[in-house]
Formats: sequence, structure tokens, C-alpha cells
Amino acid sequence: MEEIFKIENLTKNFKSLEVLKGIDLSIYKNEVLTIIGSSGCGKSTLLRCLNLLEYPDSGKIYYHGLDIMDPNMNVNKYRSKVGMVFQNFNLFNNMSILDNCVIGQINVLKRNKEEATKIAIERLKDVGMLDFKDARSTTLSGGQKQRAAIARTLCMDPEVILLDEPTSALDPEMVGEVLDVILKLVKKGIPMVIVTHEMLFAKEVSNRIIFMDEGRIVEQGSPLDVLENPKQERTKQFLSRYLV
Amino acid sequence: MKIDFSILINIFNRNISLFIHGIKITCLFAIVGTVGGLILGLLLGGIRALKVEKNDRGISKFFKVIGLAFTRFYIWVFRGTPMMVQAIFLYYFLKPVFHWNSFTAGLIIISINTAAYMAEIVRSGIQSIDNGQFEACRSIGLTFFQSLRYVILPQAIKNSFPSIGNQLIVNIKDSSMLNVLSVTELFFQTSSIAGSNYRYIETYLIAAIIYLLLTSLASAILNAIERKMNGGKKVKTSMEFS
Ligand SMILES: Nc1ncnc2c1ncn2[C@@H]1O[C@H](COP(=O)(O)OP(=O)(O)O)[C@@H](O)[C@H]1O
Ligand SMILES: [Mg+2]
Repeated sequence: MEEIFKIENLTKNFKSLEVLKGIDLSIYKNEVLTIIGSSGCGKSTLLRCLNLLEYPDSGKIYYHGLDIMDPNMNVNKYRSKVGMVFQNFNLFNNMSILDNCVIGQINVLKRNKEEATKIAIERLKDVGMLDFKDARSTTLSGGQKQRAAIARTLCMDPEVILLDEPTSALDPEMVGEVLDVILKLVKKGIPMVIVTHEMLFAKEVSNRIIFMDEGRIVEQGSPLDVLENPKQERTKQFLSRYLV
Repeated sequence: MKIDFSILINIFNRNISLFIHGIKITCLFAIVGTVGGLILGLLLGGIRALKVEKNDRGISKFFKVIGLAFTRFYIWVFRGTPMMVQAIFLYYFLKPVFHWNSFTAGLIIISINTAAYMAEIVRSGIQSIDNGQFEACRSIGLTFFQSLRYVILPQAIKNSFPSIGNQLIVNIKDSSMLNVLSVTELFFQTSSIAGSNYRYIETYLIAAIIYLLLTSLASAILNAIERKMNGGKKVKTSMEFS
């Protein structure tokens, strides 16, 4: 299987706090990888390092064999290929939902406005948000915001999408609509790395699950292996809090 | 300690064209200074918001560090010295280079002075926007300056509009300092008139009333713009006279 990312001995500290303590991980094409672990164990930091929103302190991240921290790397181009979906949506509040989806295409991918708008409309349709294309993000519900944010990412034609707890900030009744959209992307075969506490969803969509604890990968394997037959004591403890 | 209002009206009538000229020049300096200061301030404030990142190449790290140091120095100097001193110093210091007259020099000096205040207003406006939107910009590949231009600054300017507008009111008053360059703004005109009629109290009271009318008018206009920007809703912020 072809590797998208190869992460080698990655570490990240915030001042004296060691958050990632040597992560080794490969992420493959056509794979849905889910990361689980208790709050504060470094899941977000790992995703953010992949998108270079944080710079690792040591170790390497290769993207198709290219060192993404190489000074000659075009970071902006790279970031556009690695989509990111945030827990708090982070839509641009000063523009319509359609413009949220268009602005990156025009400025980063150099598409013309007409083409960008056409693609944006398609993607908004994919996530069921076309009716809201002229709305401001501030008028939307959480579920709608997150679906719009996913459309914004999709418009950049990312090769892989990183989702950091995409449903954690939502009211329970809105979780379903966002998971449905993610499931649709999974079926399209878009590679994804998902951080989530939705264990049932993880079990359904993941090819592989990683359990992190205190900045390390403690256990990984198929959903069945990790969720139903965990080998490590830490994993068992963590999972005992969820009814899988 | 007595003010004779008939004399006051008389002075105003006799010198009306001089006062009107002064009002025009004062308004011109206040508006140009505020707009010019805002444009320069956006640039300085944008640079002030830069963060040196770990993977910056040597050259861009170098420019960032220089840019940050320069803006910090600029703001320190122009906010820490009186505009009157800046005006005289820069006018004479740069005259051999620019061969400028005092009018042009005054317009430029009030702009670069205002820019120092605007830079800080813009910077705190930028900081008031939650970092998530900036990260979302970067995550789709927008550059730092594209993120500022399309997403952060439009919101920052809107949020700090009251402070930006307040600079217009400050400039209506502070343009009076440019009288040291013999710019014929309202204060300069007033002192010329008073210098020939020796009625200091009445003449300067006229100037005070005119300044008060100008700042009140500006304040009303700014409030109207702000209300419009907020979609017609009534806003609680009123212009501060500082
Ligand atoms: N920018 C930051 N500055 C300082 N500490 C941080 C920062 N980001 C995260 N941390 C800390 O790093 C640890 C891991 O955070 P995070 O990766 O967000 O965990 P998770 O996503 O697994 O809950 C936490 O203790 C958190 O407080
Ligand atoms: Mg997190």
C-alpha cells in the first residue's frame, strides 16, 4: 500500500510540557485512520503537526517521501492538499458560506472565479448545504457550520482530510448529520485521519484505529482488535468508559 | 473676565473667509491624516502581528525580525514624542531630500504620526479575532498576508472602527499643532486674527466653538457609519473624546 505520510520519531513540546514523545506512524492511501485517546494525550497536536499548524521539535514527517519541514517545501501548497476540519468549525465570519468555499480556490489553487464557484456549489450540494450558500456562518447551527467547513476543505481537492473531533462541539441531535457527511466521504474513498470519541462510528468507518496515551501510540490495529480485544491495560481502561 | 458677544460676532463676520479657510485646511489634514494613517497603520499592524515560525527560511526570518523591530521602534518613537516636535524636526531634517513645502510635509507628518496609533489599534483588532479563523486560513493554504487581507483585517477593522474613528476626532484637534509649520489650519488662522485685533478671548472662543462643532459633526457621521455597518442596529459605543 502506498504511503501518504510517514512519521518518524516525532516530538513536540510546549515549553517544558512534552506533548508528543516520539510518534512513529505511517498513513496509507485509501485508509481511514482513527485516533482515540483521552483528552490531553496529544491527538490534536499530532494532527496539527501534520498540517504544520504546529512545528514539531524533532523527528520527521514525510509526505509522499518529501520532508515537509524542508525549507524548500512550499508549505501553503502542501497545506491545501491536506485538508483540516476543526472541532470549532472556524468558518470565516466576514463572508458568505459560498465565499468561504471559493476564497482558497482562487488564491491558492489559482482557479478563476467562475470555476471556483461551480466547484463550491457542487461541494455544498455534497454536504447538503447548498440552500445556505448565501448565509453568514453566524446564522447557522453547529451541524450546518461543520458541514460547511467540510465543504470548504473539499473545495481544495485535498488528498487526505484530517478531522479533529468534528462532532465534539455539537449538540447531540446534530452529530448524526455531520457523521453522515463524513461517511459519504469515506465511501468516496477519500483518505482520512479522524480524531473522535464516537466509538461506534470509529468502528464502522475505520480501517485502523490508534490508541494514544500521554504522547505515545500505545496500541494500534483493526477496529475489532483495538476496540473489542485490546491488549494493553491502558487501552482497556480507556475503553471501559465507553460502551462499544 | 467678560466676554462681549457682539464683539465675538463682529470678529467672526469680519474674518469669515479666514476662518472658513482654516476650517477647510483643518478638515483636509484631519481626513488625510486619518486615512493615510490607517493605510500605513494596516501595514505596520500587519507586520506587528507576524510570528516568526520555526521553518522560516533564513531570508524570511531575517525580514520578519527586521520588520518587527522596525515597527516596534516606529510606534515607540511616534507615540512617545509630541507631534509638534516631530513636525519641526522632520520638516527641516528631510527638506534637503524631499524639497517639500510645509503643507505637504504637514500632510505626511500627521499621517505617519497617526499610523503609530493606528498600528496598535489594528494589532489589538487582529488579536480580538479568534485564532481559529486564522488557522483555518492557513490550513487551506492561504499565506499570512492573504489571511490578513481577506479574513482577519476586514473583521479587525470592523471591530476597531470606534477607535479608528476616534483618531479622526483626535486629528481634527491635533492638526492644530501643525501651526508650527505655518500650515494655515484653524489654529494658525485664529492666532493670526487674534494677533491683529488683540481680542484673544473672543477670537479663541470662536475657534473653540468651531472645533467643537467639527468634532461633534465627525462624531455623528462616525456613529451613523457604525450603525450602518452593524446592520442598522443601535450600538452602545459612543465616540470618546480623548
Ligand atoms: N499551544 C499550546 N500551548 C501550550 N500547551 C498546549 C498547546 N496546545 C496543546 N497544549 C497542551 O498539550 C497537551 C496535549 O494537547 P492536545 O494535543 O490538544 O490533546 P488532545 O487533542 O489529545 O486532547 C495538553 O496538555 C494541552 O494543554
Ligand atoms: Mg484535541
